[in-house]
Formats: sequence, structure tokens, C-alpha cells
Amino acid sequence: MALKKHGAKFDIFTKVAIVAVVAIISLLIVVPVLSILFESTKPTGTNVFKSVFSNPVIRGTIKNTVWLGISVGFFGTLVGFILAYIQVRVEFRGKKILHILALVPLVSPPFAFATAVIVLFGRSGIISHDLLGKTPMLYGYPGLVIVLSASYFPVAYLNLVGMMRSLDPAIDEAASSLGASKFRIFRTVTLPLLIPGITSSFLLLFVEAIADLANPLVIGGDYMVLSSRAYIAINGEYDVSAGAAYSALLLLPALLVFIVQRYWSQKKSVVSVTGKPSGQIAPIKSKVAKAPLLIFGWSVAAFIVMIYLAVILGAFIKILGVNNTFTLDHYRYIFSGIANDALKSTVIMASIATPLAGFMGMVMAWLIIRKLKRGADALDFLGMLGIAVPGTVLGIGYAVTFNEPLKIGGITIIPQLAGGGAILGGAIAIMMVYTIRSSPAGQRSGIAALQQIDPSLDEASASLGASGSRTFRKVSLPLIKGAFLTGLMFAFARSMTTLSPVLFIATPETPILTQKILAESDSGRYGPAFALCTLLIVIVLSVMGIINAAVRGRGSTEFKTTLVAG
Amino acid sequence: MKSGRLELKGLVKEFGKGQEVVRAVDHLDLVIEPGEFVTFLGPSGCGKTTTLRMIAGFETPTSGSILLDGKDVSSLTPDKRPMGMVFQSYALFPHMTVAENISYGLKVQKLSNDEIQKRVTDVLASMSLDNLANRAPNQLSGGQQQRVALARAMVVQPKVLLFDEPLSNLDAKLRGQMRAEIRSIQQRLGITSIFVTHDQDEAMSVSDRIVVMRNAIVQQVGTPTDIYRAPNSVFVADFIGRSNFLKVTDISSSANGSADVTSLGKTFTVPAHVDAKAGNSLLLVRPESITVSRQPIAGKISGEGVVKTVIYYGEHVEYTIDTANGEIVATTSDPSPAEILAVGEKASFSFEANRAWLLPKA
Repeated sequence: MALKKHGAKFDIFTKVAIVAVVAIISLLIVVPVLSILFESTKPTGTNVFKSVFSNPVIRGTIKNTVWLGISVGFFGTLVGFILAYIQVRVEFRGKKILHILALVPLVSPPFAFATAVIVLFGRSGIISHDLLGKTPMLYGYPGLVIVLSASYFPVAYLNLVGMMRSLDPAIDEAASSLGASKFRIFRTVTLPLLIPGITSSFLLLFVEAIADLANPLVIGGDYMVLSSRAYIAINGEYDVSAGAAYSALLLLPALLVFIVQRYWSQKKSVVSVTGKPSGQIAPIKSKVAKAPLLIFGWSVAAFIVMIYLAVILGAFIKILGVNNTFTLDHYRYIFSGIANDALKSTVIMASIATPLAGFMGMVMAWLIIRKLKRGADALDFLGMLGIAVPGTVLGIGYAVTFNEPLKIGGITIIPQLAGGGAILGGAIAIMMVYTIRSSPAGQRSGIAALQQIDPSLDEASASLGASGSRTFRKVSLPLIKGAFLTGLMFAFARSMTTLSPVLFIATPETPILTQKILAESDSGRYGPAFALCTLLIVIVLSVMGIINAAVRGRGSTEFKTTLVAG
Repeated sequence: MKSGRLELKGLVKEFGKGQEVVRAVDHLDLVIEPGEFVTFLGPSGCGKTTTLRMIAGFETPTSGSILLDGKDVSSLTPDKRPMGMVFQSYALFPHMTVAENISYGLKVQKLSNDEIQKRVTDVLASMSLDNLANRAPNQLSGGQQQRVALARAMVVQPKVLLFDEPLSNLDAKLRGQMRAEIRSIQQRLGITSIFVTHDQDEAMSVSDRIVVMRNAIVQQVGTPTDIYRAPNSVFVADFIGRSNFLKVTDISSSANGSADVTSLGKTFTVPAHVDAKAGNSLLLVRPESITVSRQPIAGKISGEGVVKTVIYYGEHVEYTIDTANGEIVATTSDPSPAEILAVGEKASFSFEANRAWLLPKA
């Protein structure tokens, strides 16, 4: 946010926009979060808080959560770092393929991984049991770390690739001309310069790991974490206040780490000091260094390919590993009932929420970069809450807030939006969740795009007499169209694959695809679960393909988009 | 014998593959003597930076070799060559202080802490950076960063110092100051230096010799005086300074670096390039060699024309004169107001025959 903003007075459009986005964000996320805090102060909730220090079970759950976050942060960042390093610094065949494979986990339902890992490496897994004759202890901590690291390392990968590319090659050359060997340069120059990126990746993965609910449910076994504990409190023990209390405990580290992460990622401005970068960094040529890196990179790729092959093939095979005969039964089964409605309602709701999220993200980006001086950071933070607040917490917040109509003095202000008996079968609450969870992606790409556009364009428009809204529509928006569409792409993918908040507010009238996958997988019907996963991936990829084609077709400038948590 | 003699033999660099090969440097031969300051000068894309990067080791020559004090260094990686480089972007390590930046190369050499301390202190003092030792690079001004970059490259006592357009990110005033500083340090230490720039003023003011390059090929190698006063082609004459080219109708005889030429209807003797022959030559006259007046000046070669533009700069006046030879640019120093001609006035332009230079067109 280094671009200068002039302290001009806000015009009507800007004022309205600020009030509107703040109001929308308050309704969509601030109020639900505050409701949780309020709900957690009820008796069963305070019991949870009181026993945090005395009750070893709760203490264990907290410890498990933090330890899982640290482990996933460490391994995910490590894998992301190595793959990014290979991508930027090593010359080899198939670079593009490795890049795409490293991004694949971003667009799949998070628990597709967990289910496939169980089928391949579980107690009666094809590889673990049938090929190696072992029954590994997959459920619990080891399985969670493997699955979560594999699902979220692309976030670290993208983050670090961007950062490595932005390093001035002359800095490496300077070290080299001062006599430093390749390894010494890596140790004393490259690595220290990447520390902000490494730290921020670690923290992002930490938040993702502790916020995840689907994987602990599928593969967590007895390893209880706060998100699964909150889920059990609400869906098993019907104790909303206790669930709210566990959510509050989860919210605290998530928000804290998110704030620290923001601080770290802003420190990366230290990377480029001055001048324009010259040339490219000489790729690593030494075979001794290249071979282990490439072996590692392709192993990760092979693992990802194997997982997705299991998902795709698993959908066409009776029981993968047990009865390997081709069948269309799984597809017949899902289309005979569970998939049709879920498919329709999920796609419709995601399609409505996506443009809303994209538009909101763009307006936020425009206000943050171009309009606000003081308060820009605060607004940016508010907009990013959709990512910072764990889905579990958000879902419980919605259940607490919108399961009853909001009445002031006997007059209904907001009708019941979530739960059984809500208007439109609770669809409104789900679309609200989709919107607030996806708009940060739009906001980030919008900010990245606007930062590259000269602010004097806006000023030129204003000096020619255009109003704030005209400037936004005719100048800013067309210039960030590419980023807008990219933002949409990720917003859609994120909506379609969202699970944790949905589990708390979905109703029988509005079935959700991800929820159905979890249900199938939970009851051991892996074939139908795989068929649904494949269906979901196909839909997401097609929509991404269409949007991507639209971006290129318009010949818009290619913008670097910062991706945040897929 | 002093060390730091650099020899470039048949150096060629090609980029790209198959049909798309682009030759960036084409058979470059050059010997740079120990302690010499040589500048590669040319428009962007002429191959000057590529040549420098081959000397440093960041690019591998397609063919040819690079010899340092008689030893072939072509196959050595940059860290094995005793050369220091100053980058256009300075390339200071942003995560290290000024002192840490400067001691980096010394630590690589595994010198004792006392020795490192001493050398860093010395170089900081000699570059007037003493009070900045603990600053981070992004807390320094452009000129200070430039000095740190130079100190960092010098402190390891390289045999050759390489400069890749090091002054292009500074403002005009600082640029002048820094180039004087670089030149005086270089002369004091006597380190062989190679400097790359596209700025002719920079090249003229710091170099012992200038290598003018164009489209991968060396056009001329010479001292600043040679290059300015005796360019070997229209390109070099035009690239260094400003030029007027007069048509030459006849060259009657040429020998010993001079020729009898007929131009502006007169025949006179001028210094000449060996390759200047009748039919392919032009007469170069620099604007500052030409005097513009109302009457022709006796004893000088002169022609006539009409004043087209007059620009008053204070210390000099610049005229454009429309003549039968095309437009002629002339500058007159220290003009008194009464002597300044007006637009539309008839004018004579005159120059001394020995200030002209006969050169081949290409």
C-alpha cells in the first residue's frame, strides 16, 4: 500500500460504499462471531472455560490442536519451499507439469485427500495392506499431518514462488562475485531473504490446519482437536453453549496467528531495495544438488497423482482393492438420489455467491488502495476475517445468530435465515457464508492489481469531472477486470469446496455436495464418495477453465494475483 | 610486473537456439593493460553488458577465451575469479548492515576477525561511510548505497573491478560527483577497471580508453580524445557528441593522416582517417568549432546561410543555420548580446581547417 493517496474529501459514492461494506461485513461475520462469544458465556460454556486448566481432556484437546497446527505448518512449508525452489532455480523437463500438479490440491474438496489416503494406506488399504502387508497407524495424528500438509502446501508454494521470483538476481551475483559458493549463497543470502515468506507461509498453514474440520472427522480417529470437539458438542451433545465455548477457544489462536502473519507478510518489502532487477538467476547445474531436489519434487507429484487416480478410478470400481471390477453403480447410486438435488442447489448457491463475493472484494480493494488513508489497514483486516475466522467457528456463529428471527420490539428485523424452517430452506445463510468466505480471494487479487495501476488515472478521471462511481465503473473496474475474473475463479472454487461452516447450517431442503461426500465417506461408502468428489472437481475445473478462457479472450493485461488460502 | 592484465580473444556470445540465434557479441578482441580504466560504450542492446557479464563469469562465451594475467579463466565460475563487480541495482544484501555487506567477501576468504575488522574500518573511512556502518541498506540514499557497493567490491582486493552502469540510478549532480570519486579511487589503487555505460559524458570523463560498440561489434577503440576528435565512422561521430557533416566534392591527395579536400567551394588541408577516400567520405565539424558571424572571418574556411533558430543558454548560444549543405548546428561561447544574430538574418559560419576531420561514411 505504498501508493500515495491524497487527503481529498470523500464523495457520496465512496461514503456509501464504505458504509455498505462495513454493514455487510458486520452482518456476515462480525455479528455471528460476537454471538458466539455471547453464547459461550452461558453456564455450559463457562464450564468449558473454567475447566481449561483443570480438565486434562480439554487441555489435551488444546494441546493436540496447537501441535497439529505446528506440524502441518512445518511440513507443508517445507514441501512448498522445496517445490518452489525447484520451480524457480532448477532447469528441467516437465517444469510446467510439476507446477500444475503442485496447485491441484487447491481446487479439490479437502477431504478427497483424506478418503483416498484411507483407501490407499489405511487399515485395509491397497498399498499398506495388500502390497506391503502392514497395518499402519494412520488414523489420528500421522494421518492428519500427511493429509493436511498435502492439502495445504500449495498455499506455501505459491507464496514462496512469488517471493523467490521477486528476488533481484544481481544480489545472488554480487555474492557470487565476492567468492561465495552456490551453497554459501543459499545459506547466507537466499534463505535469510525468504524468511518473511517462510514465516508467513508457516502461519497461514497453521491457521488452515487448526481450522479444518472435515479431515479430523474423516481421519482424525481419537485425536481430538478443538474443531471436532465443537462439532461433537453441537451435533452429538446438543450443547450449543459448550460448542460456542470451544469455538471461542479456537478463534483466539486463529485470529492471533492471522494478525502476526499479516505483520510478517508486510515485512517482505525489505526484499527489493532499489533499482531494477537485471537478468535471471543462473539455474542450478550441479547434478549433486539437482538430483535429490528433483527426486523429491517428482515424488510429491507422484503422490498427488496417485491420490487423484484413486479418487477418479475409485468412482468406477466396485470396491477399490477388494473387488476391482469396473462398475457404473456408484454414479447410478448418486444420481438416483443424493447427488441431483445437492448438485443443483450447491451450484446455484455458489453461482449466486461468487459474483457477489467478487464484486465485494473489488470494492474493498478499491477503497483500501485508492480511497482510505487511515483505516485502510482496518478495512483490509475486516475483509480478511472471512479467511481468518475458522469455518467451524463461522458455522456455529451462524447457527447461533440466524436460527431465530431477529426481533426488536416485536417487529422482525431479520427473519430466520438458517436451520430447519428458515426462509428458502436456509439457503440465504449458506450463500452468506459462501460470500464472506470467498470475498477475501477477490479482495487480494484486486489489491494486487490496483497496486500496479498508477493512481493518477483515478485522479485524471476525477479532474475531468467524473463522479466517484463513474471513476470506479469506467476506469478502475475495467483495469482490474483480469484480476476480478481471477478472483471469481477462486471464489467459486472456494464456495464449492467449503464444508466446515456448512455442516452447522445445512438443512434437508438445501443439501450441499460437500456435506453429502462427508456423509458417504463417513459411512464407508467410498465409491459414491469418490464419484461425488470427481463430479465436484470436474465442475470446479470447468468453471475455472471458462473464466480463464474469458480472461484471455479479452486480452486483458496479465496480473499477478496473490492467492490467499485457495 | 603489475597484475590485472585482461585479454579477450575472439569472444562470441549467442543467445537462443536453432533459427532464432541472436549474436550479442561478435568476435571481440581486446587487451586491457594492468591498471587501465576501459569503458564499453554503446546504445542498449549493443553487447556491452553481455561482454562484462562474460568477463565476470555470469555468462559463458559461445566461443573465444578470456585470459587474466595469461591464464585462461573462461571455464571458472564467478566465485573463482578474482574480480569485483558493482551492479546497476547495487545489489546490496538487504538483510545485512553496511558493515556486514562489506565484510561478506572477506568472510568468504576466511580471513581472521582482526583482519576483517581492520579492512572494513579502513574502507569505510576511505569512502566516508564511517558513521553508516550499522545502517541497513534501505536506510541509505542512492549515493550512499552506491558507495557501499563500491566498497564491498574493492575491499576483497580484486584484480579487476567491473562496473555495470553503476551510476544510472543516480540524479545528474550525484552522478558527476560519483564518477569523479570512482575515477580517483581507481587511480589511487591502480586496479584494472571495466565500466559499462550508455552515457557518453560518463565514458569521456572517467576512461583511459573507450570501446564503442554497436550491434555486437566493436566500432572503435581509443582514448577519449581519439574517439571525439578522430572517430572512424559516422556512427561513432554521431554517438559521441554532436556533429555536422559537410559534403566533400573532391579529395585530391591524402597522406600522413591528412588530405586536401574540396568543400564549400574551397580546397584546403584537413586531418583525415586512413580509410577516407574520394566518394565515400564526409567532413566532420563539431558545433563548437564553428563560429557564426555576420561577416566571414578571414583565414578560416567559411560558408553562408540563413539563421533558422537561436537558443540562448547563457554561457553559450546555439544556432541552426540553413545552408546549401543542409542544416548546420553551431555553438558560440560567451556571446555578447550585440553579437547574437536574429532568426532570418544572413549569416556566415567559419571554422579552422585543422579542427575538421575527414572520415569514411561507414
